[in-house]
Amino acid sequence: MNSAIATHESPGPILSAAALPGGFTGPSLSQEERSLIVRLRKGDEGAFDELVNKHHGALIRMALGHVADREAAEEVVQDTWMAVIQGLPRFEGRSSLRTWICGILIHKAKDRGVREKRHATFSDFESHDDDHDEAVDPSRFHQNGEWAGHWAFPPQPWDEQTPEKLLASRQAVAAMQQAIDSLPPTLKEVLILRDIEGIEAKEACELLQITETNLYVRLHRARERVRRAVEIYLEGAALTV
Amino acid sequence: MALNPAQPSVPDITCREVAEWASAYLDAHADDATQVRMALHLAACAGCEAYVSQIAAVRDLLGRLPGPAVEPTLRDRLRQAFSANRTPPPTKM
Ligand SMILES: [Zn+2]
Repeated sequence: MNSAIATHESPGPILSAAALPGGFTGPSLSQEERSLIVRLRKGDEGAFDELVNKHHGALIRMALGHVADREAAEEVVQDTWMAVIQGLPRFEGRSSLRTWICGILIHKAKDRGVREKRHATFSDFESHDDDHDEAVDPSRFHQNGEWAGHWAFPPQPWDEQTPEKLLASRQAVAAMQQAIDSLPPTLKEVLILRDIEGIEAKEACELLQITETNLYVRLHRARERVRRAVEIYLEGAALTV
Repeated sequence: MALNPAQPSVPDITCREVAEWASAYLDAHADDATQVRMALHLAACAGCEAYVSQIAAVRDLLGRLPGPAVEPTLRDRLRQAFSANRTPPPTKM
């Protein structure tokens, strides 16, 4: 049958792997993901290790927003990987690979969270009210007078080396991780999808079923909390030097 | 032109608003008028310049943070499942 190329299920793995780069027209797949998928479909264990290494940490973090403890999160992530292994031959690239994996995780984590607690997940609680608060502490701005709305306590500029120095400092890294881990799930999800996994805004919105405006409100609140954690770390570091 | 922060030359948008819109601005997600007002404000305001570049730095740092590692036993289990799930080699047609 000539139509074998068009269906991804029928041909053997070699043929489907070879047909894959051309067969996927979706703009969602990066070149890097395409070649990774080709290797995965050939059964390349190194490629699978790469995939797991790249996403496992983010998946654990995201799962922790929905389930009770680390153990449950590990189970959800393990289930997710199993589903990924089974689904790979049928993955069609309509979304990016990372979006597809995160989508499976979110679905499984929410499901588990609901079953576990027999009530709604955290994320159902803090939906809307949360989005109305300002990201930045209002007391950092002048409240009234001619300067109302201008910085009363502006942030102290970081220099070019600051990011590298932060990454090199165990305490700074711990402070940032702590800030991420203590985010409410709705903010955490957005931050992980967008900034840690690098998923495009549009795909993240589809995954979470929120508007782009909503995405940016949440993303900014989450980033601000991490920024503030760094600021506090730097203030403390300056004092102890 | 010397930019004197004491001169309210950018009345259209306050620092407080700039701070709220920082992430949307960085992704060029704000509407055109807001993008322009933000850019003008940032050129004139050191506090907002510092703030927005810190948010950009945080965004870039997040992708480079080490995350929770894979447990060795889980890694083995996943490798086994991956190998077991491989479709058998294709028979010549
Ligand atoms: Zn300003």
